[in-house]
Amino acid sequence: MSSFKNIYINEWIKTMKRPRSYIGFAIIIFICGMLQSAFYHDGKEILSFVTQSLENSFDINGTILNGNLICFILLQTLIVQLPLLVAFVTGDMVSGETSSGTIRFLLTRPASRTKIIIAKWLAGLTYTFFLLIVLGVMALFVARGVFGNGDLMALNSEGLTIVPADDLGWRWFYALCIAFLSLSVVATLSLFFSCILDNSITPIVTVMAIIIIFTIIGMFDIPSFDVIKPFLFTTHMISWKSLFEDPIPFADIRFSCIVLGVHLVVLLGLSLYFFNKKDISS
Amino acid sequence: MHELQSVFLYLAPDLFYSMPGAIRLHHVSKSFGNFEAVKNLSFQVDEGDIYGFLGPNGSGKSTSLRMMMGLIKPSSGEIYFGNQSLLKHRSEIMNQIGCMIEKPDFYNYLSAIDNLKLFERYHGLKYTKKQYDALLEKVGLLGREKDKVKTFSHGMKQRLGLAQVLLHNPAIIILDEPNTGLDPQGILDLRNLMLQLNKEEGKTILFSSHILSEVQEICDSMVVINRGEKVVEGKVSELLSEELLHVRVEAIDHNALKQAISLSSWKEKWSSTEESLLVFSLNKKEIPALVNFLHNHSVEVLRIDYKNPLEEYFLKITQHSS
Amino acid sequence: MKFVSVLFLLLSSVLLHAQDAKSLLRNVNKKFLAVNDYKAAVFMKFNIPGVKIKNMNGQVMYKRPNKFRVKANGIFFLPKQNPMQNMSQILMDTNAYTAVFSGNEVVQGMACAVVNLVPLQSNNEIILGRFWIDSKSALVLKSQITTKNNGTIETENRFGALGKYALPDRMLITVEVAKIKVPKMLAADLNKKSTDKSTATNTREKGTIELLLSDYKLNQKLSDAEFVETQ
Repeated sequence: MSSFKNIYINEWIKTMKRPRSYIGFAIIIFICGMLQSAFYHDGKEILSFVTQSLENSFDINGTILNGNLICFILLQTLIVQLPLLVAFVTGDMVSGETSSGTIRFLLTRPASRTKIIIAKWLAGLTYTFFLLIVLGVMALFVARGVFGNGDLMALNSEGLTIVPADDLGWRWFYALCIAFLSLSVVATLSLFFSCILDNSITPIVTVMAIIIIFTIIGMFDIPSFDVIKPFLFTTHMISWKSLFEDPIPFADIRFSCIVLGVHLVVLLGLSLYFFNKKDISS
Repeated sequence: MHELQSVFLYLAPDLFYSMPGAIRLHHVSKSFGNFEAVKNLSFQVDEGDIYGFLGPNGSGKSTSLRMMMGLIKPSSGEIYFGNQSLLKHRSEIMNQIGCMIEKPDFYNYLSAIDNLKLFERYHGLKYTKKQYDALLEKVGLLGREKDKVKTFSHGMKQRLGLAQVLLHNPAIIILDEPNTGLDPQGILDLRNLMLQLNKEEGKTILFSSHILSEVQEICDSMVVINRGEKVVEGKVSELLSEELLHVRVEAIDHNALKQAISLSSWKEKWSSTEESLLVFSLNKKEIPALVNFLHNHSVEVLRIDYKNPLEEYFLKITQHSS
Repeated sequence: MKFVSVLFLLLSSVLLHAQDAKSLLRNVNKKFLAVNDYKAAVFMKFNIPGVKIKNMNGQVMYKRPNKFRVKANGIFFLPKQNPMQNMSQILMDTNAYTAVFSGNEVVQGMACAVVNLVPLQSNNEIILGRFWIDSKSALVLKSQITTKNNGTIETENRFGALGKYALPDRMLITVEVAKIKVPKMLAADLNKKSTDKSTATNTREKGTIELLLSDYKLNQKLSDAEFVETQ
């Protein structure tokens, strides 16, 4: 009988031995490097777009353009792109094996389908975790190295919040935790589509389409959209930003985590249900 | 045969389950929507047999094998390995089976050895290099184990497929059309390997094919299916006996042939006519007498051949399906 | 005759008031002159529309005639026309403006003379300065500086022990701020419903910065290097 640990190790090896898994890391490093370089050269001009109205009345003292702001902007920008990178790998985990035929070998092993899916799911989450770690290192630590540490001028639609530098560590930690939860939902959604669809591209495209559509719905303040917005996972993917508000809306963050958690459990449950029912006739 | 099993199963299920039989399909059916791919299929593979699973393309062989491997769930019926129901003891059963369903698809981005190591872990094994070398030598891949599978030919993948089949030393081996894509030497090697595994290691082997001669050459027993239904099941020696052959005769003058036969005792053995051919049901020893008779009656014979009725039937359905 | 008498009285009143305003400002400036430089601890409280910023401790430094710096860790906002820096500068440059006495008002319970300062040069950023001066103590309790580009900056000063040097313990600076409007797409707040329904883009709101000053150290001979900002 296969031990769960062995199945997980196999799934992790399969994930990390595929060249496509490294595209995500390369894209993150490239985007972070590119944006940091842009901010290094033109950061003040870019920022003045936001601070222009304040600068008419105030002298803004202190270094606004610091590593924390760069990290904030990068996370904010990449939180929309990162799901696509996650889906690129996790959306292929089952359907890729179905289309290539390796699923026949996989499912004729002494391991239940439930164990296999959970192992694949955990391998997907591990990949997501490392993707986020690379983003965190690139966005926070590299940016701090280049731009220095300092208070964060967090940007939200209600204005600006200045968060003192010494109050940022725990906020970044929890922000990454929430971002991980959000991306885990994307990974689970991809896995779900990967379980019900047989070719390797369709699940990835489907997840990307869902994210884009839900994000567009979230962008517009249209009353008819307001009814569904609280139930869309994309609405809550950005809730890590709330940690940089003053006061922190803990109730909102908790609600977002619950919505994301429910999505995670339901999607994993559906994945298990459909995969256990699935006939491998390819 | 399966009616008897059913009665047995109904009257004395415990005794039925303790009967020898490595694989037993019991009234297995599978439908995909309105299409019934496998209809009420029952057969049994005895322990230590090399068992042929014969049918033309699209007859339901692969679907049946997939059901045996738990890849497809039967719509009805049950599959047993030994005394264990596949439905209830899938994982335990899979540890006892080595299989290769359809073409051997591997993780192309991994080397052959890395692929095998995945399977090693799935089976909870710890292989030494020596064991790997022995296995790779057995299938003829020694020296190529570090190459990426994407560089392998179909034949090499088939060999790697056999390596993964044998990796966990299973008692039962299920192979789906294993000769497909192999060169003549590969087919011969595979045949010898199957015979070796069966004779020396006592492994039960079930293999499917759409070529009767492949089955005929190495199988003890076989089942023939067509359009999802069992056509016949039994010992190969009995099913393909030369006791009753279909002998087909073609003459230059078809009418003269017909007339000569109609006026003789051979009329009794004349079973049918196929275009310009007269078909007789004879045993092998009667053929020279028929030839002699025709010669004596100045019937100029153009062609005479014979086939086992099952072989003939199989040829017909195979041609029909292709 | 009556008309002439009234005109004379008016003119002499204006001249008298102008004379009063100047002497009043002279008294104020005398206090400024007593201090060449100073250093003080400052506690800053911000209430700026659209900007959430925590209270902050820092250090204020001043050196005559125009060196000024607030040193603190982190990001903070100070008015563009900083009254702490500008007030003494404006008032002491007596040739740059005309001072006009414009009445008496009570500020912080004290009777204050209201003096308007009108710059003589048209290219001056300041359009009008208005100062509420306690004539007894010669302290500016309140000021209002209207600028060309940055609206009006209002300052209320409270003085304590160092009032004799015109150094306040507390300053409440009120500034007009253009409303910050961050596009939702830039802020990427998918989880927020916009609470601002106004469509106006150039609305101005009032923001305050409160400075609580303590631990003044006067005439320490501060070097110019201390006023250089290091990034």
